[in-house]
Amino acid sequence: MKSCWMAVVLLGLAVSATAAPEELQIFGYFEPQYLGTHISAGYYQLFTNKLRVDVKSVLSDKITFAANINTITYHGKKEWNILDFLAPDIRDTIPVTLRPLYTLPFENQTLLDNAYVRLSLMGFDLTVGKQQISLGTGYVWNPTDVFNVKDVLDPTYEQPGHNAVRLDIPVDGRHTATLLYAPEASWGESGKLLQLKGGAGRFDYSLTLIETRWTFHDYSRFDAGSLNFAALPERRRLWGGSAVGELLGMGVWAELAFNTMERSKDFYELVLGSDYTFDFQTYFMVEYYRNTLGKSDYRTYGLNDWMRFFTSEQKSVTRDQFYSLVQHPVTDLLVLGFQCLLSLSDGSCSFVPLARYSLSDDTELFAYLNLNIGSEGKTYGCSLGRAGLLRLRVYF
Amino acid sequence: MLKIGIGLFLIGVLSFSVTAQELTGEDIIQRVNQVINPQAMYAKAKMTITTSSGSLRTFLYESWSKNKGEKNLVRYLEPVRVKDQATLMLNHADDIWMFFPRTQRVRKLASHAKKQKMQGSDFSYEDMGSGDAFIEDFSARRLNDQTWEGFDCFQLELKRIPESDISYSRLVIWIIKDRFVPVVIEYYSENDPDRILKRLVQSDIREVDGIPTAFRMDMHNQNDGSQTGLELLEVRYNLILPDSMFTERVLKR
Repeated sequence: MKSCWMAVVLLGLAVSATAAPEELQIFGYFEPQYLGTHISAGYYQLFTNKLRVDVKSVLSDKITFAANINTITYHGKKEWNILDFLAPDIRDTIPVTLRPLYTLPFENQTLLDNAYVRLSLMGFDLTVGKQQISLGTGYVWNPTDVFNVKDVLDPTYEQPGHNAVRLDIPVDGRHTATLLYAPEASWGESGKLLQLKGGAGRFDYSLTLIETRWTFHDYSRFDAGSLNFAALPERRRLWGGSAVGELLGMGVWAELAFNTMERSKDFYELVLGSDYTFDFQTYFMVEYYRNTLGKSDYRTYGLNDWMRFFTSEQKSVTRDQFYSLVQHPVTDLLVLGFQCLLSLSDGSCSFVPLARYSLSDDTELFAYLNLNIGSEGKTYGCSLGRAGLLRLRVYF
Repeated sequence: MLKIGIGLFLIGVLSFSVTAQELTGEDIIQRVNQVINPQAMYAKAKMTITTSSGSLRTFLYESWSKNKGEKNLVRYLEPVRVKDQATLMLNHADDIWMFFPRTQRVRKLASHAKKQKMQGSDFSYEDMGSGDAFIEDFSARRLNDQTWEGFDCFQLELKRIPESDISYSRLVIWIIKDRFVPVVIEYYSENDPDRILKRLVQSDIREVDGIPTAFRMDMHNQNDGSQTGLELLEVRYNLILPDSMFTERVLKR
């Protein structure tokens, strides 16, 4: 598989080489990052160096090739045991001999993140290859996006590419139909998406249908055959929609997705959001999120709830959440902000002060603190610890 | 023949003088609106932000506009940090979409986002994409004529009309009399009409395709001392831009 992707890149580079020199662009960034977390087990620190190299070639006004390779090295504490972040009553249910199975390793990697060709013809855009798929209008959570799960502390961070064939057909100036196929081993396991995006007045909307194979794991059962936790694959169908626009001078958006599952319980997710920029440049945003996969009573949060959350199989442990962000450009170069994540179901919350500083045209510094102040066992409970992240990004 | 020529010249000067004297504030701002909002436009520009601490940030971008500024598309070329980031403004910047290439995400912004600084500069999106805001959002009153850098200028006061949501209570504009090009615009606070927020100075005015064009614009922020310079590197007016160019599809390219 690796050699296959290398072939795609080499092909792309070869194609790029035939283009006029000014059309071949090579750019990217280097990103050293420090993450420190203080939990009951001690103080963990993880250093990451990420190098992203992008290649883009506009072969004509109809054909574009783009790719990027990410190389990431990890240093410091490279194995984090998820059980260290859980309340003792859950941790103690796991026999000591099995606890190493809950370790999340950070392994150095070189990855072909995206590599695609886009054909833009009169009637459609066809994109083939590994590409980012961004769905939905939500800022922190996207119910209609089954391909990605955002980091709630850093929701604008780029998402990985997905292997897919995508066809965008403009219906008129404001309406577009999208068909997407993300192939897996068989048709049944592959992701299929049909979406209609359009506009009405000051609103944009989308209607989305997705069918894919979804795999929950039972993290209390280990499958010796696959050397993994017991997998529970099933068909997932999503009917969703989103809207974004303006109401009473404020930005508003909504996103809703119903999921019918072949075996497990059906569920729905809902996001409602609003934002506003004051005359003095302060930006304010709020978002409400409901996920009926999450539970409304924190005393029923179990091992599977937490593990599925940490492995992105479900987007939240708790049922109802509220997010707020206040951001202000203190100077032309420095932006200070404050995020708050609140579980309405269990009353726990996390404070996330953040700062973004422009060191030069192509160098920026980003930092946040993550202070979980809920009681043990809750969504933003103290078991999750207190963390800080410092990230430098140098573009080239 | 020479006498006839001089005579025609004098008649022309006199008739302009009479016309200039008789023009009302509304007449003048209508003429200005025609000059600054051509039917279609392409520009490549360099924007340099000088922060209050003296640091410099430079951006290079291309922009296209149509229907006298009603539709606008801006795409950044440099620095790499914002390369391919693009902004689509329709309905005189009442509808704004931004494309972020790193996440391949298009975000629709509400009209309050017009107040945000464009890439941290002293220009807001409203300043850049409001098209005929001078005639739609303000009523014009002619003040005493002034001289600016050797140019004879009309001076107008534009007061925001009650139904407008524009971020300034009033503007004071100096306009070169024989070209109807603004050379100075003062922007006053929405809440305090006596407090000046920023001052735009336009210079290096050249004719391009018969349209007088300021190749240099400097916005001075009166509050924090920062300033943003905008230098046009290339301008074209005689263009036919299809409507399909101002869509989300093109925004993402």
